[in-house]
Amino acid sequence: MKSLRFYLAMAAAKGALFGLRLLRRNGTSLPGDVAVKIDKNFLAELTPPETVIAVTGTNGKTTVSNLLTSILRGAGHSVTNNSLGTNIRAGVVTALLADSTFSGRPKKDIAVLEVDERSSLLIYPYLKPDYLICNNLMRDSIKRNAHTEFIRYIIDSALPESTKLILNADDLICALLAPKNESRTYFGITADIPTTFAQDNTVKDIVYCPNCGGKLVADYIRYNHIGRMHCEKCGMGNPEPDFVVTAIDSAGGVFTVSHGGEAREFRLISDNIVNVYNSCGVIALLSTMGMSFEDIARGFSSAAIVKSRLGEVEVCGRKITVMMAKGQNPIACSRCVSYAASVPVRDKRVIIMEDDKHDNTNNVENTCWIYDCDYSPLKDDSITHVLFVGPRCLDQYLHALMDGVPEEKMSCTPDYHDIPEVLETRGCSNFYFLHDLYYERESEEVTRALTEKLREEGAV
Amino acid sequence: MKIEALFPEVCSLFGDGKNIKYLELMLPEAEFIKTPLTGEPYLAPDVDLVLIGSMTERTQRMVLEKLIPCKEKLLALVDSGVPILATGSAADIFCREIHYVTEKIDAEGLGIFDLEVRTDLFKRYNGKVLGRSGDLTLTGFKSQFSFFYGDNSAFPFMECERGIGINPQSRLEGMRRNNLICTQLLGPLLPSNPLFAEYLVSLTGRAAEAPFKKAAMAAYEQRLREFRDPKTEF
Repeated sequence: MKSLRFYLAMAAAKGALFGLRLLRRNGTSLPGDVAVKIDKNFLAELTPPETVIAVTGTNGKTTVSNLLTSILRGAGHSVTNNSLGTNIRAGVVTALLADSTFSGRPKKDIAVLEVDERSSLLIYPYLKPDYLICNNLMRDSIKRNAHTEFIRYIIDSALPESTKLILNADDLICALLAPKNESRTYFGITADIPTTFAQDNTVKDIVYCPNCGGKLVADYIRYNHIGRMHCEKCGMGNPEPDFVVTAIDSAGGVFTVSHGGEAREFRLISDNIVNVYNSCGVIALLSTMGMSFEDIARGFSSAAIVKSRLGEVEVCGRKITVMMAKGQNPIACSRCVSYAASVPVRDKRVIIMEDDKHDNTNNVENTCWIYDCDYSPLKDDSITHVLFVGPRCLDQYLHALMDGVPEEKMSCTPDYHDIPEVLETRGCSNFYFLHDLYYERESEEVTRALTEKLREEGAV
Repeated sequence: MKIEALFPEVCSLFGDGKNIKYLELMLPEAEFIKTPLTGEPYLAPDVDLVLIGSMTERTQRMVLEKLIPCKEKLLALVDSGVPILATGSAADIFCREIHYVTEKIDAEGLGIFDLEVRTDLFKRYNGKVLGRSGDLTLTGFKSQFSFFYGDNSAFPFMECERGIGINPQSRLEGMRRNNLICTQLLGPLLPSNPLFAEYLVSLTGRAAEAPFKKAAMAAYEQRLREFRDPKTEF
């Protein structure tokens, strides 16, 4: 029996939702805020869909959540998803109530909910997920997330023991999450094992064994602490993955996943290793839920990463690759830089607009994260120019100098409107535009202006 | 010249590691001793400068296990005027005791400063600081779970023009004893304050120019303008 307060909250929230839809403002969490303000227990009283999947982790939540939603819908399921709103409690509540009746009954079979790690304590005790997928736990916003030990503590404190976990075996912090939860499925990558170790200037969030304090020795590292390592004292190390990417064929656009003696090729949605992990996690989760490899592969054939996260614009044979990375998240930004450097083409020009404009203008800013980014890949000879853009471009420029990037191939401008004018584009066919989450509208503006400039210049 | 970075593999949480890198660029001839948590602190009389940066709460307790037995060596360096810089949550361990409120754990600190630390994982403080230490104006950032309680008026590191000191009621930031400087300003304090980097090195009796000084000063001066702007939130 639901409380009267619950029905009042539902009526007010539904009213807010209706009004916002009339105003065509779908991407807000206001209805969820209204509901929780009226009834603090709203989330606990709401009847959840039959299956609830929580998607969490530092990087890749949105990609995983969107892939899961797309594949599940393609397979005929009805899915509630919070991709239009936020991943904090209000966003989760908004998504659920939007797909519920007035009496609080779900209209959909499955909820795929992206959950901000920091919001775990406000969500999991009330909405118990059947499955939780976590693709990595790494350094994130200094201000909100502090450090990975704190984030692990929060998730471990909040998560019900009954939740089935789908975890990245190649991330030791993530793999050790919620030790009391018995149902654990691991995914990982054994393809293309790196032969060189990560550079010294990359940050690592786990150095010593959490069990005995012994030194963790790397068998190999893909980036930061992602890879395989073991404790030299007690032998503890990464668990063996149940679902394994055994081959990545970038040219053929496929990757192979093995599980329980079965191996199958899936369409590669992006050859960035981060997205291979995201994809493998999705396959592991859906397979654990009972979906066949065949059906999952069918879903992957039409799935894509949202354009705002990764997009390409081609004009007169010249290409602008647009990549989104969360500002204040040094590893996400470093991965984008590393990816741009690794693409095997010559004469690349990179625009970095990753400082957090929102933080600069709306919050008490903290720019220390910039110095945790790894700009050393920008030294690569294939990158001929780097343009830092935004209010903290001078800090980024200084840090790039400290990382050894030559002064003569860098410039900076605080105003993004200046990009087309400041960036020398003639003779170049490959541009990489890395921008922060809160620069989505501005990035579209810049991409349009750059496209226009390239069109005017014509083919190289 | 010998510079010891204490436990840099775990005490570089918020970009603090870039203080070591900045000094490496500034003093290319210096020998850098990077003491891991599995090793023993050097802290010998011939060390010229010691650095320690931000760490997690669990790491603080492990670091204290390492440093409490070395307290006499550390005090000898402090008394002989060797500059020691502790940034971010490294400052906590120099206080008398740390109360981890959330985890309900109390830990004995190094006790060099008679202050008590209260660490609450559910109360994160974020803020900026604009302050003066001697002739220098510093800018910096705070993101922390801990505040210090007690009276640091006899030994502050700097006086805040804007932002808070050791707790929300305090205008006196950090602690200083001789050339031991403890500040809750975290991260890349030296590249962000190139004149302070030069001052710190001058405490060793040497002079060196801050690396990429023109670029570093441009970023510092921009921040200084913004921090002095009354519209800037702290």
